[in-house]
Formats: sequence, C-alpha cells, structure tokens
Amino acid sequence: MLEPLQEPFMQRALAEVVLIGVAGGALGCWVVFYGLSYAAESLAHSLFPGLVLAAIAGAPLLLGATPAVVVAALAIALGARVVGVSREAAVAVVVTTMFGLGVLLALSPQSPPGVEALLFGDPFGVTDADLAAAAALAALVLLSLGLLHGRLLVVGFDRGAARALGVSPALADAALLVLLAAATVVAVQGLGNLLVVAVFVGPAAAARQLADRMLPTMLIATLVAVLAGVAGLYLSYSAGTAGGASVALAIVAVYLLSLPLGRWFAAHRSATPSAEATIA
Amino acid sequence: MLEPFQLPFVQRGLIEVAILAVPAGLLGTWIVLRGLAFFSHAVGTAAFPGLVLADGLGFAAPLGAFGAAALFSAGTALLSRREEEGRDAAVAIVLVGCLAAGTILASDVFGSGANVETLLFGSLLLVDDGDIALAAVAAGATVLASLLLGHRWLATGFDPGSAEALGTGARGLEIVLLGLIAFAIVAALSTIGALLVAALFVVPALTVRLFVERMRTWQLASIALVAVEGAVGLWLSVKTDAPPGATIAVVSGAVFALAAMARSLSAPRRPALAAVALAAAALLLAGCAGGSGDEDGQLDVVATTTQVGDFVREVGGGAVAVDQILQPNTDPHEYEPRPSDVVATAEAELVFTSGDELDEWIGEVVSDSGSEAEVVDLGAAVPERLPGERSGEEASTYDPHWWHDPRNAEAAVREIERSLVAADPAHRGVFERRAAAYLTRLRTLDAGIGRCMESVPAARRKLVTDHGAFGYFAGRYGIDVVGAVIPSQATQAQPSAKDLSALAGLVEREGVEAVFPESSLSSKVAEAIAAQTGTTAEYTLYGDTLGPEGSDGATYLQMEAANADAMLRGFTGGRRGCRIGS
Repeated sequence: MLEPLQEPFMQRALAEVVLIGVAGGALGCWVVFYGLSYAAESLAHSLFPGLVLAAIAGAPLLLGATPAVVVAALAIALGARVVGVSREAAVAVVVTTMFGLGVLLALSPQSPPGVEALLFGDPFGVTDADLAAAAALAALVLLSLGLLHGRLLVVGFDRGAARALGVSPALADAALLVLLAAATVVAVQGLGNLLVVAVFVGPAAAARQLADRMLPTMLIATLVAVLAGVAGLYLSYSAGTAGGASVALAIVAVYLLSLPLGRWFAAHRSATPSAEATIA
Repeated sequence: MLEPFQLPFVQRGLIEVAILAVPAGLLGTWIVLRGLAFFSHAVGTAAFPGLVLADGLGFAAPLGAFGAAALFSAGTALLSRREEEGRDAAVAIVLVGCLAAGTILASDVFGSGANVETLLFGSLLLVDDGDIALAAVAAGATVLASLLLGHRWLATGFDPGSAEALGTGARGLEIVLLGLIAFAIVAALSTIGALLVAALFVVPALTVRLFVERMRTWQLASIALVAVEGAVGLWLSVKTDAPPGATIAVVSGAVFALAAMARSLSAPRRPALAAVALAAAALLLAGCAGGSGDEDGQLDVVATTTQVGDFVREVGGGAVAVDQILQPNTDPHEYEPRPSDVVATAEAELVFTSGDELDEWIGEVVSDSGSEAEVVDLGAAVPERLPGERSGEEASTYDPHWWHDPRNAEAAVREIERSLVAADPAHRGVFERRAAAYLTRLRTLDAGIGRCMESVPAARRKLVTDHGAFGYFAGRYGIDVVGAVIPSQATQAQPSAKDLSALAGLVEREGVEAVFPESSLSSKVAEAIAAQTGTTAEYTLYGDTLGPEGSDGATYLQMEAANADAMLRGFTGGRRGCRIGS
C-alpha cells in the first residue's frame, strides 16, 4: 500500500494530482453550472498560436501560452455577448480560429516540431516548478471563488435579477473564464491535456448528482477529484496502465457510480418529508 | 486569379467541399439551434479509440471511426437524459472516457499507432473517390432527414418538455439528430481533420444566424456560406502555400468576427454585410501570395523525411530539384501536406520514401495528386533490419528507424544513385561521383563513431532513451539498450507508473549513467527518472528528424555525430565527447 510512496516520481504525481484536484474540483462546479465544459476541454488548444510565437521569438513557452489562453477566454466572454451566440458556440469559433492560426504560424521554419507536446506534461514528469504553480493555482482559485461566490451564484441562477442587483453577468463570465484559463495553463503542464477536462468536469458533474447546494457540491467534487486522482495513480502503479489515462478513467468511473447513487439519494430525500407527513 | 482551380487535386477538393457544404450547412443550423457545438467537436476527437483499434487489429480505419462515433453518440444520449444541466458535461465525460480508453489501447495493448493520426489530421488536398462518395451519402442522408424530421426537430428545439408531452418521441428524434451529426462529421474527418470540424459545421451557420431568423433562409444561406468559405480558403491556401484546413478555419473565424462587429454596430439587418465582410476577410488574408519557380533542366524529385531529403540532395547535387515534404520543424505525426507538396509530387518523376509506416501517408499523396512518379522505398533496400515493436499489421514488421545504422545509410545512398541514374542517364557521371564522395564520408562517420564507442568499456555503454528509436544505432556499436520511457511510437501513448518504477530500478541496478531525451519530445518524464536515479538527462538525441538549419544536427552526418557525442558524454559522466574528423 505504501510502497509506491517511496518512489519520488510517484510522490510528485500524487502531490500534483491532489493540488490540481483541489483547484479543479472547486472550480469545476462553476464550470459545469455555467455550461463551460466545452471551454474546459478546448481552451488548451487555443494555447497553440501563443506557444508557436514564443518559440519563434525564443522566449519561454509560458510567456506565449498565458496571454494566448487569456485572450481566448476574453474573446469567448465577448463573443457570447453577441445576440444569438451562446457561450458554447463562442467557444467553437474562438478555439477553432486560434488553433487554425497556430497551424499557420507553425509553418514558420523557426517553429520547433510538436511545440504543444513540449508544454503538455505527464503526471509522472511533474517538476518542482509544476508543484509550486499548482499550489499557487489552488490558492488563487479558492481565494477567488471565495470572493466571487455570491456574485457567481446570483448570475448563475438568474442573469436578469443579477443585473437588477448591480452584479454584471458579463464580468462574472469573464472572471470565471479567466480563472479557467489560468487553471488550464497550470494543469496542462502538470498533467497533460486529457486530464484537464477530466478533472475540471468529471468530479463536479458527479458531485451535482449527490448534492443540491453549491458549497456541499464543491466539497464533494474536491473530494472526488483528489480520491479518483490517487486511485488512478495506484491503478497505474499496480496494473501498469498509462498514468494520465488511468486517472481519467477513475474519474469517469466515479461519475458513472454517482448516477444510481444520486437517484437513490433523490428518492430518499423526497420520501422523507412525506413519511413525516403521514406520521403527523 | 483562378489558376489554383486548374490543378486537378484542387478541383477535387472544391467538389468535396461543395458536397460537404450541404450536410455542414444544414446540420450547422441544428447544431447552433440545439447547442450541439461541443458534441460536434467532440465526436470527431472521440474517434480516436476506434482508430487505434482499427490500426491494431488491422481493419479499415473509417470502420473504427464510425463505430467509436456511434458509441460516443449513444453514450452522450444516454447520459444527457440524466444530466439536468443538459448535454455539456455528459459530452465532456464520454469524451474523456473515449480518449482515456484510446490512450490505454495505444500505450498498453498495441505497441504501435503511427497510422492513427493520419485520419485525425485530414486534408482537402488529398480527396479520393471514396471520400467524395462518403460526403455525398452524408449530404443525401442529411437532406432526407431534414425534409422528414425538420419540423419535429424544430418543435423539440423550442420546448422539449411540451414536445415530449405531445408524444413526438423526443428521445428518438434526439438520437437520430446526434447520429446524423456524428456520421456527417466522421465522413468529413479525412478531409478536414478533427480539430477543425467546427470551421465547417458550426462557424458558418452561426455567422448567418446573426442576420437571418427564418429557418429555411438560414439553412440555405449556411450551405452557401460553407461552400464560399471553403472555396475561398482552398484558393487562399494554394496562393499562400498553407494547409487548407487551417486556412478555412481562420477565414471562417475572421468572417464571423467581422460579421459580429457589423451586426452589433448597425441595428438594421443587412445580409449584404455578410458578403462584404467575407470579401474583406479574403482580401485581408490574401496578403502574402508566394510563388515557387523550379530551375529548368533539373530532375524533379520528392523526398518524404528530413534524412531522406538530405541523402537525395547529397547524391543529386545541382542536377536534381528536391522537394522535401517534412521539414525539421514538422512533427511527422501531425503532418498535413501543403499545396506545393502535392504539386511537387504530381510533377515529380521519383518519390523517395523512408518506408515502414513512418511515411505511409505519401501513398495517398501520390495517388490523389495524380502523380505518375516511381516510388522508391529506401527502407526496403537496406540490409540491416530489426523487428518492429509489438506490431499489428505487416507494415510495422520492421523498426522504421533504419538510418541510425550508417551501413543502412550507405545502402540507401546506393539505391538513390541507381534510381537517379535510371531516371536521368545524362547526369550519370554527376550522380556517381557525388554518391562515391558521400559514401566515403559515411564510412568515415561509421568508423569514427565505432572508435569513439570502443573507447568506453562495453559494460558502460548502456542506453535509456525516450522512445525506442535507437535500436539500429545500438546494434551497430555494441550498445546495450536498457529501456525506454515511452512504451510505444504513438504520440498519445503514456508511460505507466509500474513501467517507470521498473525502469528506475533497472537504471539503478545496471549502473546506467544517463537518460537521453529526444530533441523533438517533451523531456519531463525522462528528467524525472534521471532525478530519481541520480543520473543525468542533459544530453539530447536526434531521433525521428534532423535538427533545423544551424543546429548541430542539420544534416545526417552531423546528426549521427551529435548523437554519438551526446551518448559518449552520457556514458562517461561528461568527461569525454566524440569528435569525428571529416
């Protein structure tokens, strides 16, 4: 049981999975609530033009990735304000265009091959810098979500009412997307692209089956993200399956388990008051 | 102005995009109306496990793709019924499941997956009759379904609850729509590629939506816009020599941006604005049209990989015009041909390939460009062959990295000389003289590396690399390959904790001094293993491709010398390098 913990690469992978799980579980609940799963999956592709530009200029890849993904996030928020354009459709336009732009820029002879692969990490290749970034991200996400909680809740439930209360839905969207963008940049370096969407959507979707109110949902999602991450890494250690994919499968499995559990909870909850009523 | 459309393969691309415009435009309106953009993006990507299975078990790739897409649609339909906030999260989770399954299949079940990426990165320049037929079937099915079910889709779109109460069978309708979108997108995969599907299926319909509200008008205008953007993108791509998929994506994005700006600036709706915006975007992008002129009297030859291109240039000299398709900066796994590559292949008399699934895509380029070139497989001509890894089809019987044994390079150079002389007997003297000179340099290289390696005790020549590209090099110079970090050649393959733990143990037991990352791959896992075992990962090797111009691996001779130098430094703890006088 504790044998894998003696391997330094496993220790780092576990620490990274826990830190990203804390950030992803909490932020993911808002991502799912706001219908931003597509953005969570695709923002990483919009890094591409930034990476190529940074590589051509000889700058650190992060210097290109961060502005590119923030630009994409803001463009999505802006695009979704146009009448007739949903957030989902805005993601499609922005990500496809930015990825196409990246492909064209990568034609430049100075661009190194597979520049995305150079940035995208693997749970077993986590560096000290990745861990520090993940810790900073977890702190930033929890702090921002704490500060924005009320506003995000109002906007999420009723955009019209939010405006009347003096809360700007556009600002809430933009803030959430920028947080997601920051999380994407950190998480792709630590865990790779596949796990970003897994950690930011799966645990939250599972938690929503089990809880109604936002704070308990966030708590459950964080717990699910951390536990599934650890379970996936142990699976990879004992069964010899691909690391990132094992974590992703563990998250999917928890989600599938949450469906019957959620229905059972729902039935139980609705049964309780009526039972009390008959007694009374 | 219109001369790009005179090229036969561009005409075929134009026909393909005109046919695809029907399903893309029609379904695009439903995708936008019903919020299916994420689904339509994901269904192409989710084909991945099907492609891995098809490659591993040796059945037709489209079959695998359609199967995976059908499973994905069914899974999404099943889960989104239970998911209160709709389809979004369900799509993401099913997609994660598909990609994870594909990764595990590629990493742990089948050792190889080099053909997988070809379908995920399709090209409008490589359209064959099968692609056109498939697009036509998708178009027919879409038109038929829209005529039969369109009004009911519209009803469920506006109010799923009451539509269900009215008994229109909302679930069945939903599944038909999802299935149709999945079919049309997989049919389009081989021509536009998975990541750019939205450029045809979502963005144009969304653009028209800004100006049009009536369903029928919206549908017809969307079809027209897809066709126009496709044609403009294709034309631009030939003019600027860029891949058409990416060009169309940027064109459609730019048109949308201009249209959205026009729409929010001016309250009255003017459909004409869309046309103006389109023209403006086309002009905006037409900036850098470049032309290529070959000198006359040269033999036109195509080489696929960087090292094959280097060999052909060495032998051919000024008598041969070499179009080398892969550049040092292109990832062979993400290859999409440029128009100039297809033109060069169409006009070439000889095509030199590396062989063994490393450049299998060239077969499609040759046949779809209408080329009559003779294809010379250098991999089949080399004497030293190593068995491939865990292999599926016959194509991966051999390890494709043959050039890392200079004796194989010699055989390849002789084969190139033979082929060039046969194609252009007038320059026989030039080819023979240049080939002989280069063969001497190859032998010097071989002997030099041999001497360097012999200066290290055999027990210390222990190699751990990123992926298994150096079997030939190790075999030639008595190097013991202890292991590799990445379990297979497929780009999506990931290492497992168990294998890494075993590798780390092996590195420590065998007294390995260094782990060698490859120049074109992320070195993070190799560095983690090095850090854990107290070895170094500072010496990188050139594996699949030469380095860019000006690097220490810009030519084949430099690349092998640089690899030998890096290995020697790694073996000796940095005390000694390998210099080969030439």
